[in-house]
Amino acid sequence: MILRILNLVRKEITQLARDRLMTTLIFLVPIVQLLLLAQATGRRIGDLRVAVLDLDRSSVSRQLIAELENREELSVWCFAEDEDHLRDLLDRGEVRVGVIMPQGFARDLADPLRTARVRVVVDGSNSVAGSIALSAASAVFAEYGQERLEALGVSATLLVDLRVETLYNPTYNIRHFAIPAQVGFITFQITLVIASLGLARERELGTLEQLIVSPLSRLELVLGKAVPAFIIGELNFLSIFAIAIHFFHLPLRGSFLLLLGLTSLFIIAEIGWGVIISAIARNQQQAILFVFILAIVDITFSGYLVPVENLPRLLQLIARAVPMYHYLVIIRAVMLKGAALTDLWPHALALGGLGIAILSLSVQGVSRRLD
Amino acid sequence: MSIHRTLAIARKEIRHILRDLRTFFLVTVSPAFLLLTLSYIFVLDVQQADLAVWDLDGSPLSRRYVAVLTADGDFRVRAPATSYTELDRLLLAGEVDGGLVIPQGFEAGLQAGRQVQVQVVLDGSDPIAASQTFFSLQQRTVAFAAPFRASPTLVVGGLEVRGEAWYNPALKSLISMVPGLIPIVLSMPALALALAFTREKEVGSFESLIVTPVRGTEYLAGKLFAYLSSGLVSVLLVWLIAVLYFRVPFRGSPLLYLLLGADYLLASMGFSLLIANFTRTQQTAMLLVLMIFFIPSFFVAGLITPVDTSSLGSRIVAYSLPTTHFIAVSRGLFLKGLGGEALLLPAAVLLGMGGLGFASGLLLFRKRLG
Repeated sequence: MILRILNLVRKEITQLARDRLMTTLIFLVPIVQLLLLAQATGRRIGDLRVAVLDLDRSSVSRQLIAELENREELSVWCFAEDEDHLRDLLDRGEVRVGVIMPQGFARDLADPLRTARVRVVVDGSNSVAGSIALSAASAVFAEYGQERLEALGVSATLLVDLRVETLYNPTYNIRHFAIPAQVGFITFQITLVIASLGLARERELGTLEQLIVSPLSRLELVLGKAVPAFIIGELNFLSIFAIAIHFFHLPLRGSFLLLLGLTSLFIIAEIGWGVIISAIARNQQQAILFVFILAIVDITFSGYLVPVENLPRLLQLIARAVPMYHYLVIIRAVMLKGAALTDLWPHALALGGLGIAILSLSVQGVSRRLD
Repeated sequence: MSIHRTLAIARKEIRHILRDLRTFFLVTVSPAFLLLTLSYIFVLDVQQADLAVWDLDGSPLSRRYVAVLTADGDFRVRAPATSYTELDRLLLAGEVDGGLVIPQGFEAGLQAGRQVQVQVVLDGSDPIAASQTFFSLQQRTVAFAAPFRASPTLVVGGLEVRGEAWYNPALKSLISMVPGLIPIVLSMPALALALAFTREKEVGSFESLIVTPVRGTEYLAGKLFAYLSSGLVSVLLVWLIAVLYFRVPFRGSPLLYLLLGADYLLASMGFSLLIANFTRTQQTAMLLVLMIFFIPSFFVAGLITPVDTSSLGSRIVAYSLPTTHFIAVSRGLFLKGLGGEALLLPAAVLLGMGGLGFASGLLLFRKRLG
C-alpha cells in the first residue's frame, strides 16, 4: 500500500516539477502577497488633501491653515471659492477634506463671550480615510482651543485618569496583527489550490479513469493526492514564515515546534476541504471558483480582517466551524503573546476535531463520486 | 467577421454556463453570494470587547462605574479577576480583550474631588481593536466623572469644531464598503473567462476549433459576449443586494451603473484575457489572476486605505488596475450621486483597458495560430 501511494506521489511531483511556470508561481504568489500587505500596512495614511474655504482671511485663520499643513495626515491642496466649489471638489474626489472658517472667526475667538465655530467636512464614501481625516483636522482645532484655554488659566485635568498599558504589541504596529494572519491565509490558499485541483484535473483530461482501473484503492488515491499537497503546504508555510521573521522582523515569542505541529493539523484540515471540492467539481473551472468562494468565506469567518466578535451572533457560531478561525487565534497567540499549548488547547482540540471530520467526509465524498 | 459564427460561439459558451447548475452558480450568482458574505465583516460598527475587572475598591461607586461602562453592551465583563497573574492568564488565552483595575479608595477619592487612577491593560495583538477599546473607555470614563468636579468650570467662549461627513453622515463602514467591494466580487466573471479560455488549450479542443471556419476575432468576441451577458446579470444581482438587503443609499442612475458595470467587466475581462494568453493550464491562469489582479485589488485599489499617491510607481500600479477606477465609479454613483460627465474619465479609461486587452489577446492569438 505504501509503495503504491509513493508511486502516485512521485507521479504528482514529477508532473508539477515539469510545469515550470506553475512551480514558480506556487512560491512567487505568496511572496508578492506578503510584500503587498507589508507595503499596505507599513505606510501611514498621510497627505489626505484638504481644501480650505477661508471666509475670514485673518492672521488666525492663516495660522490654523499652517497648522493643518503641519499634520502628517493632511496636506492643504487648494482654496475653495465658496461652498458649491467645495462640494464640487469633494464630489470629484479631488480633495477628501474641506475646512470652512466663517467670516468673523478671529473676532469671535478673541471675544471671551462668543464661541468661534469652524466646520470640518470629510468625504465619507471611504469611511477609513474619512474618519482619519475628521479626527486629524478636528485635533488641529481642538489643540488650538486647548492652548487658548490654558493661556486663560482654566485647568483641564481629568478626574479619573485612565492609565493604559498595552501588552504584546505596545507600539500598536499593525503589521504584527496583519502578517501572522497572512501567513495563515497563504498556507490555506496554496494547500487548497493543490489539493482541490488534483482530482478535478485528472477528470477533465480523462486520465481519472486510468487511475480508477489501476489497483489503487480510493483511500490510496486520496492519500497519494494529499501527500504532495501536504509537502507543498509545509514548504510554503516555512518559506513565508521565514520571510515574516527575517525581513519584517515579526516576533516569535512561543515555541516554533508547537506552531509547526498545529500548522500541520491546519494543513491537513484544509486538504480535506480541497478533496471535497474536487469531489464536487466536475471540471477545473468549477474547482477553482469554489476555492475562491471558500477563500472569501474564510476571510469573513476567521477574524483575518476584523475580529469575529464583530460579526452578528449567528455568524460567530459558524466561525467556530472554520479551521482558519482557530488557526489564526493560534498563530497570533504563539507569535505575539508567546502562548503555550496549555493556553491554546481548546483551539488546538477544535482544529484536530474539525480536521478529522472534514477528512472522513472527503474520503466518503470521493468514494461516492468515483464508484 | 461573421455575426452568425460569433453568436454560435457565444451560444456554445452560454450553454456551458447554464448546463450545469454548479457552473451557473459559480459564474453568475457567486458575486452576489460573495458580497453578502464579505459585507458581514462591516455590518457592526461598534467594537465589542470582553473585559476582566479587578475591583479593589468594591464600593457602590466602583460598581456603578463598571455598570456605566457596560451599560450599552459594547463592553462585557467576562471574568472578575483577583490578581495580576489571573489577568495575565485571561489575556494570554484570549478570553478577554482587556483588563480594568479599579484602585482602593476610588469612591473616597472621587467624592473628595481628587484625581484617581484606573489602570487599563489591553491586548495589543489586535492594535485596531485595542485603540478603539481605549478610546471608548476613555469617553465613557470622562462622562462618568464629569459630575464629580468640585466646581464646574464655566467655560466662556472657546472654539467649537463641527465635524460633518458628507455622503455617509455616520461614517458607517458598511455604507462605504459595500459599494467598494462590488468591483472586487465582480472580478469572478473575468476569472471564469480566463479559465474557459485556457481550458480549451489544456483539454485540446482548441486544435479542433482551428480547423473550423471560426476566426480568431469571432472566437474571442463570442466568448467575451457570453461572459459579459452573464456578468451583467451578476451586476444586477449585486446591485439589488446592496440596495435592498444592505440598504446602502443609491443616489445615481441605475441605468448608468449597469452601463459602467459592463464597461468594468469589459476591462477586467480584457485584463484576464491578456493574462490567460501566457498560460497553458488553468492552474497557472488562476494563480496569475490571483497574483496580478485579485490580491492587489484588495490592497492597492483604494478599498480600505486610500490610493497611495506618494510615488509614481505606486500610482502606476494602482491606476493600471481596472478595480481602482471602478471602486471610484461605484462609490461615486452609490453615495455621491454623480452624473455621467463626472465619470467620463474613469469610463474612458476602463473602455481603453478593455479594448487594449482584447486587441492584444487577438494579436497573440493570431501569432500562435500562424
